[in-house]
Amino acid sequence: MRTVFLASLRTHLRRHVAAVVAVATAVAFVVVVGVLTAGARAALIERLGAPYRNADLVVSPVGWPASHMKPEDVIAFAERLGENASAIGRASLPLRAGGRRIPEAGVGPISTVERWRWQPLESGRFAVRGGEAVADVHFALANDVSIGDRLVIGEGAAAAAVRVVGLVESPSPPAQADVYVTWPQLLRWRDRLHLGSVAVRGEAGTLPPGGKAQSPEAFAEERLTAVQNQVDSVGVMLLLFAGVAVFVAAVVVTNTFAILFAQRLRDFALLRCVGATRRQVARSVRLEAAAVGTFASLAGAVAGAALGYGLIAAIDLVAPDTPVVAAAPPPSWLLGGVAVGLVVTVAAAWSPTRRVLRVSPLAALRPDVAAGPRTGVGRARAALAVLPAAAGFALLAAAVMQHGVALMLAGGGALFAGVLLLGPVLVPRLIRLPIGLFGPTGRLAAENAARNPRRTATTAAALLVGVTLTTAALTGMATWRAALDEHIGGRHPIDLALTSAKGPVGADVLDRVRRTPGVERAIAVPGAVARVSGLDGPFPVVAAPAAAEVARDGGAFAQVEPGTIKIDFEAFRSGPGLRPGEQVTVRVGERQARLRVAAGSGWGPAGVVAPQTLAALTGTPEPHAVWVRAAPGADPARLGGDLDELADPIGATIENGLRTWESLDRQLSVLSWSVLGLLAVAIVIALIGVANTLGLSVLERVREHALLRALGLTRAGLRRTLAIEALLLSATATLLGTVLGVGFAWSGYETVIRPALREAAFHIPWPSLGAVVLATTLAGLLAAVLPARRAARVTPAAGLSFD
Amino acid sequence: MPGDATARPYERGPYRPVPQVDTATAVRRAEQGTVAAAARGLTKTYGLGDVRVPALRGVDLDLPRGRFTAIMGPSGSGKSTLMHCLAGLDRPDGGTVAVAGIELTSLDDDALTIFRREHVGFVFQAFNLLPMLTAAENILLPLELGGQRVDDAARERARMLAEILGVADRLGHRPAELSGGQQQRVAIARALITRPDLLFADEPTGNLDSATSTEVLDHLRRSAHELGQTVVMVTHDRDAAAYADHVVTMRDGRIV
Ligand SMILES: Nc1ncnc2c1ncn2[C@@H]1O[C@H](COP(=O)(O)OP(=O)(O)OP(=O)(O)O)[C@@H](O)[C@H]1O
Ligand SMILES: [Mg+2]
Repeated sequence: MRTVFLASLRTHLRRHVAAVVAVATAVAFVVVVGVLTAGARAALIERLGAPYRNADLVVSPVGWPASHMKPEDVIAFAERLGENASAIGRASLPLRAGGRRIPEAGVGPISTVERWRWQPLESGRFAVRGGEAVADVHFALANDVSIGDRLVIGEGAAAAAVRVVGLVESPSPPAQADVYVTWPQLLRWRDRLHLGSVAVRGEAGTLPPGGKAQSPEAFAEERLTAVQNQVDSVGVMLLLFAGVAVFVAAVVVTNTFAILFAQRLRDFALLRCVGATRRQVARSVRLEAAAVGTFASLAGAVAGAALGYGLIAAIDLVAPDTPVVAAAPPPSWLLGGVAVGLVVTVAAAWSPTRRVLRVSPLAALRPDVAAGPRTGVGRARAALAVLPAAAGFALLAAAVMQHGVALMLAGGGALFAGVLLLGPVLVPRLIRLPIGLFGPTGRLAAENAARNPRRTATTAAALLVGVTLTTAALTGMATWRAALDEHIGGRHPIDLALTSAKGPVGADVLDRVRRTPGVERAIAVPGAVARVSGLDGPFPVVAAPAAAEVARDGGAFAQVEPGTIKIDFEAFRSGPGLRPGEQVTVRVGERQARLRVAAGSGWGPAGVVAPQTLAALTGTPEPHAVWVRAAPGADPARLGGDLDELADPIGATIENGLRTWESLDRQLSVLSWSVLGLLAVAIVIALIGVANTLGLSVLERVREHALLRALGLTRAGLRRTLAIEALLLSATATLLGTVLGVGFAWSGYETVIRPALREAAFHIPWPSLGAVVLATTLAGLLAAVLPARRAARVTPAAGLSFD
Repeated sequence: MPGDATARPYERGPYRPVPQVDTATAVRRAEQGTVAAAARGLTKTYGLGDVRVPALRGVDLDLPRGRFTAIMGPSGSGKSTLMHCLAGLDRPDGGTVAVAGIELTSLDDDALTIFRREHVGFVFQAFNLLPMLTAAENILLPLELGGQRVDDAARERARMLAEILGVADRLGHRPAELSGGQQQRVAIARALITRPDLLFADEPTGNLDSATSTEVLDHLRRSAHELGQTVVMVTHDRDAAAYADHVVTMRDGRIV
């Protein structure tokens, strides 16, 4: 049997290519996740452990995080050890930098001893004596602090002035502070100090009460678990996607083996004829699967590791701040990936092998067992498949009515399983629907695609999984996005507001605002400058019945009841000093009104009142604000800057709500693209499956193709037939998947989103869905290119004598 | 107009059963004795270097129109290769083939395909029919591939042919549900549906028992004699060859 095994492996190597690629891709996916997770973990440990790098021991609270050590005890402990200890922690203190007051800034220690200095210097020098400080670069950037600036830390008697002598990075999140001063200086605020750990060199001696000593590694592990949960949850999510890819690969491989073995059934039967036992045939076949699996898994692991490290290098290049480093390849992930690939391949070969074993030696003598015209689908199987589908429907309906997430998941799973089981009945029928659309070649193609229901259905199933998940994710995210837009629209109704508490905003300013690039629409908002009790300085009061023209919430925020003044609370840095529901006196010139305060946000320092209220306050309202709706894709910073230049000369201010939108947009698009990219792996594997099925079928149909060519089908005609076959297959799977995906998204919406956000509407992202359908269908067409070319190359005479 | 090379020897039209001979058939009969296909100096070699197999070593051959010609010879003598070259299924390395006034060696692949579609019909030893199509669909396939609308006349003609060949009652069946002889007869019907200039049959009875063989051979002979169809059959069976009007014998890639 050895010779048979080796010979068949050699002869059929090319036919295994697709299976190898599918498995290797899935394994590579797993390994990439592993390399990235390990890299993120290593980066976190590295950062976390930075302050303890040169320590022998770390002293920390026994019951962390539930308990902590008393600062006084820790201080005493650290003082006793002197240079052999470095206490890590910080104090939250008010800080004044230039004219700006920061109510809470983190102030931490920086050691004067080289080995305890974990903050890498960015510029300037380290602080070495009292009155000196180094600032975190990000803090400095955000607050306009530079070297040489004077900072006042603390308030009242405890206030101390320090000079910034350097800027540092603070890579360790638990030890991070905004400003670092020397230990003696920090002790000035010892009553505000919180010290979480002490790095110790040599013996620790008596520990502070409630403290324990452990190695830096053990400490890092302990602290990591908290941060690690984030990494792990990301890893688990990625694994979920990898799981989908593995599942699709398994489907593709099962199909490959089923087709390969069907084609070789005659060979197997012949082997049995000449005396091979069932066991021997089984062993040979399983060995072949194992060989393919091993090779594919190893190739996938190598490719995955290469890709993973490549990605880390790329991330380092694009976003150096991302906490991920090239760590040693994680052995458990590598082994796991290889094992998954191997197990999937061998398991996928299991059921096709069983079919092989059932073949009787006599089958070798009957003509054409392999290319039998139609493998029938048992009625029993079809009936059996209807059960889970029906149960799935019922469960989904129940889930929608009772908002049960578990019901929904069970229902979705059952329905999907039912559809997959029904595939051999369903898919061929669907494929034959557009029959006659493409003329005789199309008819041939449809007949070809439908002739082997199980094979076709399995090929479609792989694609179906990927497409369903992708379209469900797209629709779900679009719906969620729409709900979020509405929610945020209420908080940031106006993209950009120019508000003047001084003179009115002239028509020329409005005109120039309208001509600023990136402005879609702008309206002038009439009002008057008022004095409001409880607020310092002049305060514009406006009425905006036309807000709907520019507002993202349809102008709802500006519909204020008479007797009420709606104030943008977020426009005040530390609150307006008013509370919602309070009564205030609003005075414009001689006239005045008592109004009730309502809170809102998103239009800047102005009070919105009803038109009649404004009319009561002033007889001559003038524009005191310009509200802008930005054009889609406008750059918030740029637009804000441009409008600022218009606002400055007339003493007006700009409120930029667009920034929020942009960051939200960015986050969501990163999320959507990630999900799409991750699911795309599954779709790509499925498309490899389509190419594979077609390629193997083409091999099987060499004689048929030769016959067709003999009867007068041109090369182009033959290529077209195969292209249409692939097109029908991928289009059917894609459309079915899209319908299912949107359906699942809808039930998810009804079950999860609607109960939480009553206002949220279901949103179908037609363009994105269209793009998915088009891209997948065209990719299916692309999958036909190679098999079709190979088929068309064979001359009819050669094909006719092919065995 | 016998001898006029531009005249199509047959026109498409409703097919009438054998006894009432249509004009096309009459023309064909009149043309009996002229040459339907001619090969000159055909050579064909398979493989390269040490494994070179000369399959044809200079074959000159005229196939008389409206006759049943058999090509005989031992296995490996080049019969199938010759037939493939004559039918435009393969290209000879040297020499020329002319069928219905068309020089095949000058045609590109597409032109050759269309030539086959319009001028040649085939019956092979096995695997003649597409398994996913019914017998009727298989018979009509050449018309469909030619982009013709399959109208009632064509369907009627298919039914007639099936009736003549004795498979009319199996038209709705797929090949797997037909016996070997029935499959071959369906294949003959398919080969005749386009009224080809030449009908090639490569070992059409190779897989059949003697009774069925007799039937199939009889049909082939009748289509030559009654329909004026030029038929070329490759066989190494002496009894089969006995049905033919002419026998050409091959040995080692040459006609002897
Ligand atoms: N594709 C090929 N590659 C190499 N040699 C070939 C090929 N096809 C045919 N031959 C060789 O060419 C020679 C003629 O083959 P051909 O098939 O024409 O013989 P044949 O007379 O039809 O034989 P049979 O009666 O067995 O069908 C044989 O020696 C054969 O081995
Ligand atoms: Mg032969």
